Amino acid sequence: MMKKNNQDRQWRSFREFAESGNNAHVEPSEFSDESFLKEHFPGAIESAGDFVSRRSFLSLMSASLALAGLAGCRRPVEKIIPYVIPPEEVIPGVPQYYATTMPFGLQSFGLIVETHEGRPTKIEGNKDHPSTRGLADPFILASILELYDPDRSQKVMNNGSVSDWSDFDSYWKIIFDTHLADRGKGLAVIGSSFNSPTLHHLRRRFLDTFPEAHWIAYEPISDENILRGVEAATGEPQLPEYSFDRARIILSLDCDFLGSETGAIKNAANFARSRYPDIESNAMNRLYCVEGNHSITGAMADHRLALPPSKVEIFLLMLIDGLKRLDLSLPAKIPSADITIEFDRKFVEVLAADLFANKNHALICAGKTQPPTVHALVCLLNSLLNPENELVRYNRLPYALIPDTVAFNSLMTQIKAGHISTLIMLDTNLAYCAPADIDFAQAVAGVRNKIHFGTYYDETAALSNWHLPAAHYLESWGDAVSIDGVRSVAQPLIAPLYGGRSVVEIAAQLAAGQPENGYEIVRRTWRGIIEDSFEFNWRKVLHDGFYSESTPNVARPDFTPLGKYLAAEPFSSAPDIRHGLELTFIQSPSTYDGRYANLSWLQELPDPVTKITWDNPARIGAALARNLDLRDGDMIAVNNQGAVLELPIIVTPGIADGVIVIELGYGRTAVGRVGNGVGFNTFRLRRSQDPYFVNGVAVAKTGGRYKLVCTQEHHSMKGRPLIRQADLAYFRSHPEFASEMVEHPPLKSLWKEPELTGDYQWGMVIDLNSCIGCGACTIACQSENNIPVVGKEGVARGREMHWIRVDRYFSGSADSPDMLFMPVPCQHCENAPCEQVCPVQATVHDHEGLNAMVYNRCVGTRYCSNNCPYKVRRFNFFNYTKSMPETLKMLQNPDVTVRSRGVMEKCTYCIQRINRAKISAKIENRRVSDGEILTACQQACPTNAITFGDISDSASRVSKMKSDPRNYELLAELNNRPRTSYLARIKNPNPALVDNHDTIPLQRQDERKSS
Amino acid sequence: MSSDIRDSLRHHSTETALVTGNPTFAGVTADISAIAESKTPRAWYIAIAITGSLALMFFGLIVHLILTGLGVWGINIPVGWGFAIINFVFWVGIGHAGTLISAILFLLRQRWRTSINRFAEAMTLFAIMCAGIFPAIHVGRLWVIYWMFPLPNQMGVWPNFRSPLLWDVFAVGTYFTCSLLFWYVGLIPDLATFRDRAKTKIRRIVFGFLSLGWRGGNRHWRHYELAYLILAGISTPLVLSVHSVVSTDFSVSQLPGWHTTIFPPYFVVGAIFSGFAMVVTLAIILRKIFKLQNYITLFHLEKMNKIMLVTSLMVGYAYAIEFFIAWYSGNQYELFTFINRATGNYAWAYWIMVSCNVLIPQLFWSKKIRTSIPAMLIISLLINVGMWFERFVIVVTSLSRDFLPSSWGDYSPTIFDLGLLVGSFGLFLTLFLLFIRFFPVIAMSEVKTVIPDAEVHRER
Repeated sequence: MMKKNNQDRQWRSFREFAESGNNAHVEPSEFSDESFLKEHFPGAIESAGDFVSRRSFLSLMSASLALAGLAGCRRPVEKIIPYVIPPEEVIPGVPQYYATTMPFGLQSFGLIVETHEGRPTKIEGNKDHPSTRGLADPFILASILELYDPDRSQKVMNNGSVSDWSDFDSYWKIIFDTHLADRGKGLAVIGSSFNSPTLHHLRRRFLDTFPEAHWIAYEPISDENILRGVEAATGEPQLPEYSFDRARIILSLDCDFLGSETGAIKNAANFARSRYPDIESNAMNRLYCVEGNHSITGAMADHRLALPPSKVEIFLLMLIDGLKRLDLSLPAKIPSADITIEFDRKFVEVLAADLFANKNHALICAGKTQPPTVHALVCLLNSLLNPENELVRYNRLPYALIPDTVAFNSLMTQIKAGHISTLIMLDTNLAYCAPADIDFAQAVAGVRNKIHFGTYYDETAALSNWHLPAAHYLESWGDAVSIDGVRSVAQPLIAPLYGGRSVVEIAAQLAAGQPENGYEIVRRTWRGIIEDSFEFNWRKVLHDGFYSESTPNVARPDFTPLGKYLAAEPFSSAPDIRHGLELTFIQSPSTYDGRYANLSWLQELPDPVTKITWDNPARIGAALARNLDLRDGDMIAVNNQGAVLELPIIVTPGIADGVIVIELGYGRTAVGRVGNGVGFNTFRLRRSQDPYFVNGVAVAKTGGRYKLVCTQEHHSMKGRPLIRQADLAYFRSHPEFASEMVEHPPLKSLWKEPELTGDYQWGMVIDLNSCIGCGACTIACQSENNIPVVGKEGVARGREMHWIRVDRYFSGSADSPDMLFMPVPCQHCENAPCEQVCPVQATVHDHEGLNAMVYNRCVGTRYCSNNCPYKVRRFNFFNYTKSMPETLKMLQNPDVTVRSRGVMEKCTYCIQRINRAKISAKIENRRVSDGEILTACQQACPTNAITFGDISDSASRVSKMKSDPRNYELLAELNNRPRTSYLARIKNPNPALVDNHDTIPLQRQDERKSS
Repeated sequence: MSSDIRDSLRHHSTETALVTGNPTFAGVTADISAIAESKTPRAWYIAIAITGSLALMFFGLIVHLILTGLGVWGINIPVGWGFAIINFVFWVGIGHAGTLISAILFLLRQRWRTSINRFAEAMTLFAIMCAGIFPAIHVGRLWVIYWMFPLPNQMGVWPNFRSPLLWDVFAVGTYFTCSLLFWYVGLIPDLATFRDRAKTKIRRIVFGFLSLGWRGGNRHWRHYELAYLILAGISTPLVLSVHSVVSTDFSVSQLPGWHTTIFPPYFVVGAIFSGFAMVVTLAIILRKIFKLQNYITLFHLEKMNKIMLVTSLMVGYAYAIEFFIAWYSGNQYELFTFINRATGNYAWAYWIMVSCNVLIPQLFWSKKIRTSIPAMLIISLLINVGMWFERFVIVVTSLSRDFLPSSWGDYSPTIFDLGLLVGSFGLFLTLFLLFIRFFPVIAMSEVKTVIPDAEVHRER
């Protein structure tokens, strides 16, 4: 939604931020002063979020006059002036958009942030930034909630009591001087990994100041294996980047490249592009997936082989054997797989032939859980299958601090030996996420000075001498390099809400002994990056969000070191198949590694596969569940070499037999009111030797039961024509198969239909062939439309509020099922069943075809929901916003009504965005152009599966999509005439691997089975 | 009255005595008035203490509901309606028998109705009161519920006349108004009797006010009987319309299991069925406690049991034909819903419904059971259990399993749902206890027309 007339504002923004940055610490704004907050909002910090106590209610009421100013005070200006003289270019009610950057480990995402009168309210991808191209994932979208999280750390803490920054500054000066004397002996920093020029410089400066000190990175989930594998192959740690848009055959080896892998947003967009089923050409890609977990990538696979992650390496060797037989010449000696594993051998033969036949269009990717050997072999195979090497790009990481488990382990040994006297933990929660066998809390007990810098007063903060509150990235100056080498600056959108300092400022303080201004630090770095006319280009970088001169750091590896590496036969460890079950650890799609545990949006976002919210049960396949006699919610005790954890299970069809998938990131004890005590701390099962998967695990049923809460309890389509799917070959011969699947009598209405006479007729198409089920649409909608969360109990009662949900169905056999996704927003039926039954006309049709919901008029009979065949309406059973903390009120989108108790709500097609576009079109005396309005879900969708627009304009994208032969309407036989339609899903299986019956559309198969 | 009818009446009344014990006119007045005029029995205090507490709990729960939100109930998405609507339909159904007995049987010259019509009508009114509370409190924002009424307003916003919920407002409102009028008009001569017999000033004033200056003159009687006849004529179609309209709450929607054309007659029959069951239950208790065996005889009870047997068969037919049509329609959603009712996770409710409504009433084929007081008490209670579950099955099973399996969800009531159900019985019984304490439970003036004395005079 960046429009031309916003550009000036963005220019404008930089100066304001710059000034605020200049003065932020010299002259903190009156309202950010903590004593002021404490004095005027005594309850806001401690008790907000719970039911309002009488005391806090009264104090909030008494401070209500000040509240009006509170919203404005977050403008990054150093003097509070009345709005009588408004800031230039700020029109109250008209949002402004600023570019910034979100760092995320080695990755970073270019963003555009919508702000209303100085309050950031919504995060969107930056269309021009190569890392997002305007798209987003749930973490990015929900990070704005973290900004306002009232549970974020708000105070400097010294040994458990409240302190302040000046105390810490003088303390650190002493420590700094001490270590200057001993050249940094006994001084260590464990941080999270980064890919940032400024932090890179600061770290170097720190190590120059303290030559004997350490500054290493540890990440519980990282690309370390990939980097080590590529290093083995090329001599340098480089991050491979795949061009899925140009690949015709893709093999994923335990690689959830659409979901949890680095670059997933870009991958998903590119994958969807080459997945388009064209009747004419043969361009649709084919995905083979070999994986232990059932991931969303596995759901998109045309052929999926469920294999424990430990056996992927053997599978790869078998594949190499197959390729060798096809005369693919290998430059290095690679042993044959001496252990074979049980699966259909035909799979590997056909796969090898397919890869070989599609040379230069075939691509293999391996997941970060796989050992370096696999990655080295994948590098080799990719170079052989793509002699021109166009599909894989290897990116150097010159500004990165790469996570290093070896260095971490040796540092921990030093710590245990008592060699470290000062330990600084930068933005990392080791007490929670370090491997269980390290016993971090015990290990650091003897360290004299422990300093923790982080967003929350977390598990690690609790055992540190000093805790320093970190500013959110939307409050901080910083910079980052995306994995493809684009350098960007992160500019603050708001002054720190809770008085935190940015990671850049802390790093500078560590290196220099004195606190420094973040803005100055970043500018200093960028003086070395921007080559000429600094001020002009600096402003341009802030405006654009990235430095357009960036040249990707593409490496041109020749794989010479690989021969030597393989000659050493690094495979010996792979066929280590112990008896027992196999654990595989996955990152959480909701909390990542636990860092987002306090974000209620993400906690309530149903897992894409299990649809579980607010929990992390162990996932097991149907066969294992049968063998162990386990049902959903049964407790098991998992014993991994002495580390025992009891947790519930959920049966997830498609998980490899003998594999237990363990989701990390839950069971936090010190994160905040939302995340504390949610789920099970599975890090306790993780050991440093095998962090991603481990064999020989014992499992016992304990007999206990646990209440799991799920947004979807029925997983089969019951033979109903909901998600319509066919094979490519069948689609070619029957292009209209989807709309022909349901036969019904002529559809006639009981009464004369009102004519829809509007200038525009809005409609939506959702391409089920592209949807990967990630849930970004749900979070984007939640953020845009002020959708409340209802908590675990609310979801258990079936009262989740999401306006767009992603339905997930399984079809086929329980052991090798298909997983299908279907996003369901309000269908905006022209002949809407909800409208007809509302006694007070609270839901009515507008002349542009929108099914409008009039909250003011709603009395809450819920009849509309009962009569909605799609069940997309959501009811406010309680006043879900009653106890909303003050800071979260700042997050609400002022263009969308916050709904009261007792009213129905539902998707509006983002009517506020429609109206905003219509208003600006009217001012400019033109029609709204196609693509000018993006609904929030559409905007975020990483695969561009959602298209919205004017269906009365035959040239619009949405009209073209509606004329696609795959187009069908869900439950069209009810004569609802939904405005939202779907494009059927097409699979592209290899004819050599399918029996004939598979070419029949999915629906028919189900019918045949049931009859 | 034509002589034919008179003959048939005479014939009838000589065949089976409608009132036994051969009471005189004065005796009837004395017997019935005594119930309201004698010293309040202790049992009554105990009874109203219990029911009154439940009624208070009912209102307490409503206050809590209004202060907290509908979330205290077990409803959810997809099951947006739960106990509140079930109770509403249940109570409206109960409210059928009274007006049916007074109006339809009056028009059909079923003179045996005179002994039971008064308290049956009172029961109707109290049931409709209970029923009326539920749709009001089940909305999310009670404070704006007046928007359901077509009140002229400056914004020109009107209710949606296509919505069955609006039809409900009119149907139930009209039915209640007419039933109240009908009952009250019928009461006037008896209220005058109470006024004339009053020994305290308060009774004199209250009953004097209520009896509207009734003096029992010939003109009074003529106007009275005409008014009564007209009201009976107006009420008769309402008996059929009110539950037909209630059934459209369901049948107008698209939901499988709701969207059926059989609903209006099926609901009316079910309502009569449950209404008669409730009348029988109350009649058995009344005649036992107040020794009204002479007025409410086995003959009355047996007649009502026969009606229950017939309506039970009709309800059973409806259950069967619903299944048949679901299969015959070839609509997979419809068929699934019905199979799910009988075999799904609410099958227990379905089979309670079938057993209580169809199987158990078949015992009434036996004359012995039909005339056994304990047997008919148990059966009539079970019928009301069954009829409550019928509404549960309709509301919950259909909503919990509709078109998209992804959005299927189960419903389980909370303590608040159960509390309101129990509380509504408390309210109903409290009102009924107050009624029997202060009003003539049997229409004295009407009963006097069917006692042997009246016969004698007429013959002479």
